[in-house]
Amino acid sequence: MASVTLRGLSKVFDGGVQALHHLDLEVRDGELLVLLGPSGSGKTTVLRCIAGLEEPTAGEVVIGERVVTHDSPAERDVAMVFQSHALYPHLTVRENIAFPLEMRGLAHAQAARRVLETATRLGLQSALDRLPSQLSEGERQRAALGRAIVRGPQVFLLDEPLARLDAPLRVEVRAEVLALHRGLAATMIYVTHDQAEAMTMGQRIAVLHEGRLRQVGTPEEVYQRPADVHVARFFGTPGMNVLQGRGRAGDKGRVIEAGSLVIPVELSTYDGEMQLGIRPEYVGLCAVDQGVGNVDVLVVEPLGSETLVHLNAGGQPLVARLPGFADVRVGTRVGVKVDRRRLYLFDAAGAPLA
Amino acid sequence: MAALAAALTLAVTHSIERRYERAFAFRIARTTAAYIAAVTPPPPPPPPPVRRRGRIRRPQAPITPVPQSPASRSYHLPSLLTQARGLRTLPGWTTEVEVYYGTAPLVDATAPPLSPDDLLLLDSAGGRWREGSALVPLKDRDGREIVGAVAARPLRVPTGPLPGGLGFAFPAAVLAVAGAAGIAFRGRSLRRGGYVGAALLLAVASYADVRAVARSSTNRWLTDTRRLLQEAATRLPPPRSRVSVSDLAALVQDGELVGGEPAESAPWRARVGGAPRAIVAILIGSGRWVDLRTVPAEITTPHWLLLLLPSALVGPFGILLLRWAERTPARKRRETVIAWGFLAPAGLHLLVFTLGPAAFAVYLVLPLANFRAVVHDPLTWLSIRNTALYALYVPVSVVIALGAALVVHRFRVGWGGRLLRSALLLPYVTSVVTIALVWQLIDQTGTLGLGRSGWLSSPATALPALMLLALYAQVGGQTLVFLAGLERIPRAYVDAARVDGASAWRRFWRITLPLLRPMTWFVVLSGLLSAFQVFTIVFVLTQGGPGMLVQRVYQLGWGGAGGAGGAGGAGGGGGSQAFGMASAFAILLCLALVLFSWPRLKLLGRDARHA
Repeated sequence: MASVTLRGLSKVFDGGVQALHHLDLEVRDGELLVLLGPSGSGKTTVLRCIAGLEEPTAGEVVIGERVVTHDSPAERDVAMVFQSHALYPHLTVRENIAFPLEMRGLAHAQAARRVLETATRLGLQSALDRLPSQLSEGERQRAALGRAIVRGPQVFLLDEPLARLDAPLRVEVRAEVLALHRGLAATMIYVTHDQAEAMTMGQRIAVLHEGRLRQVGTPEEVYQRPADVHVARFFGTPGMNVLQGRGRAGDKGRVIEAGSLVIPVELSTYDGEMQLGIRPEYVGLCAVDQGVGNVDVLVVEPLGSETLVHLNAGGQPLVARLPGFADVRVGTRVGVKVDRRRLYLFDAAGAPLA
Repeated sequence: MAALAAALTLAVTHSIERRYERAFAFRIARTTAAYIAAVTPPPPPPPPPVRRRGRIRRPQAPITPVPQSPASRSYHLPSLLTQARGLRTLPGWTTEVEVYYGTAPLVDATAPPLSPDDLLLLDSAGGRWREGSALVPLKDRDGREIVGAVAARPLRVPTGPLPGGLGFAFPAAVLAVAGAAGIAFRGRSLRRGGYVGAALLLAVASYADVRAVARSSTNRWLTDTRRLLQEAATRLPPPRSRVSVSDLAALVQDGELVGGEPAESAPWRARVGGAPRAIVAILIGSGRWVDLRTVPAEITTPHWLLLLLPSALVGPFGILLLRWAERTPARKRRETVIAWGFLAPAGLHLLVFTLGPAAFAVYLVLPLANFRAVVHDPLTWLSIRNTALYALYVPVSVVIALGAALVVHRFRVGWGGRLLRSALLLPYVTSVVTIALVWQLIDQTGTLGLGRSGWLSSPATALPALMLLALYAQVGGQTLVFLAGLERIPRAYVDAARVDGASAWRRFWRITLPLLRPMTWFVVLSGLLSAFQVFTIVFVLTQGGPGMLVQRVYQLGWGGAGGAGGAGGAGGGGGSQAFGMASAFAILLCLALVLFSWPRLKLLGRDARHA
């Protein structure tokens, strides 16, 4: 097992698209790090640079103690699971799992034994002699995992391995990946665009946005103390409300005006444009004129355990998350309460203020 | 529906029977005309003009408009009248005959005369169907001018088991209609087969009718001609005291007359030299017998089955269609009809230009002796050997195409790759004839400073030169197929193999090549198929140089361009025998190619399932 270190990693594709901007990241030995970002944020490019499928334009990749920036994939001793599972369609599951061993010249009997071990671990014994086209989607993903783990590589790279599975299967395979990580004590880098998946799986989460690393931290850190407005918006279901506001002196101390809301804040120095973040669960509704401002109800989504209420706060969208079934009518005007201890303040560029 | 189909079948049967009867009428009319021409003496020389003083009496103009013909070539009118009337009295004569001299009927003098137009038309057409009888010209004694006509009206011969000679088809049709009605009224399923069986019975019955009519038309011609020849043997005008067989043979142009043995008067069938013949024995003098042989008309009846079977099956098919329309929801019915509508033009094209000629080839080849001739022809085996050698270029070109495709795919974004791709495709999109002609020019005049090689004209080098040219012309298309295959392989497979530690060499052998297998099969098999059908470049470049399979078909059919393949032998013949042999050859070639393509279809199917 080994750590993975990226130093000043940049990648510019032919045609001038810069996918990665000077990325620094350290993945500790034996850690499961989740690389999270929306589509096009460059997370797959990071993974391919680590695997050696792409050569970075600048910076270096270190696996263990060795700088492997310009080594071929074969020399890096990493394994990768692809989003499309990429099982060779003309080979059986057995041959697919044995392929990396065969390529490394392992003796036949030994390889056969390890294939069987791996298959047993993943519950694939009965599927060994079938072709990928004859497997269910879940079995395919497990076979792809098997091909990755059979060799016992230093580092596992998983590129959205669950994206193709339906929801119940996803939960199941997710648990399997976690169990696998515990059992192998392997260094894993797991790419996903699903923040819920990232929260449940990652020991640490690295958030990537537009080719830049925004924040690296535990799920709690990332949720509670987002490094900037992008991270804040990205986490939670739904994500944090971010209102464009303006700080000024009010009747009883300083306030922020954001749309139709006027929220008193304990902020001594700041004036002018700013952004106000508040998670939906800390937004409450009350009678008109009883809260920090009045809003119009646009959409009500009852979800059983909670109700999401989409509001229009003077032209800016605001979502409130209320427990149980809330008695709110679409088209009415209501007042808004906020938990002032849970406000996040960012400057106009998105950096945190407090 | 069923009644309609039965009526259609009956009508088809009837028209086919009429066809045979007309053919018979024409034959007997021609034979009669020849008979009359042979046995009627010329008119006696006209009396010498008597000179009277003062005026010259000219012979009076004839009443009937006899064409201007020298008197010595025409007929003695009273004899003609006798001969014509005599036809009616021949025992066993089955045809109603009328002889016209000029436009005047001789046998039945009260019958309406011909119009002068009828005679003129006869001159150009050589025989036509007029008012239910076959009308053929009666020429003068030298066979130059038309002096009259012979009309033959065939009498219907009853066939079939029923009284009244209704044939087999009519009762079968009644059965079929009854069967259909039974299904309709009692709501029984077609699957019970009753109606389909009846329809098939109808087809078989109508076929039996057609065959019977064809057979009897030949028999009638034989018996009637027999009567005529016997008459002719006694009546040929002097000075012939003893009739020679060749004189009689001149009367029957569509039969052959050979010396024979005494036999019954009824015609019989036998094989003469491997070919079926209908024969009747004729006594033409004391103890002198001849055999009159002809090709029996019924050997042409099987191909009418192609018409009779479908028309008999129109009924069951129509009922199936109606059933289907009843059961199927409106939308699916509409979509199916539209789908078939879209398929119809292509289907029609296929039917007319592919299946039709193929069926015709099968028909031509019907005497199976053609196959034997092909197998025993040494040129067949030579052309197979040449073509097999020629086909060896295919593996070479496939390997080159695969290599080129890999290179183009590797550099597909750069201008180099695009240039290479264009260079490879250019010969592929150019007409093979153009390429062949340019090569021929290089070969013969030594353009490009290569000197005059003369490869194409030397037997030793012509085949390799052809292979080289074929390779040049084909490699681009094969590259294109491989390129499409490479584009289709998801990048993830190659990436996965790289991460798994496979070298470029092993990636190619273990991943790329297996994933290209459908394309490889396609390219190899279509290459081999086209190699076995090669014609164009050989024809253009060497005018039939190394004998290839398709060249052989062409030579057999048209007897053309023997070249190095060596004409003569069986190929030089021409005519229908050659066409039969060419068809036999083509059918054998076709069967071989189908056997060849079978694995391709199977493999493509399997790979398509797994892809």
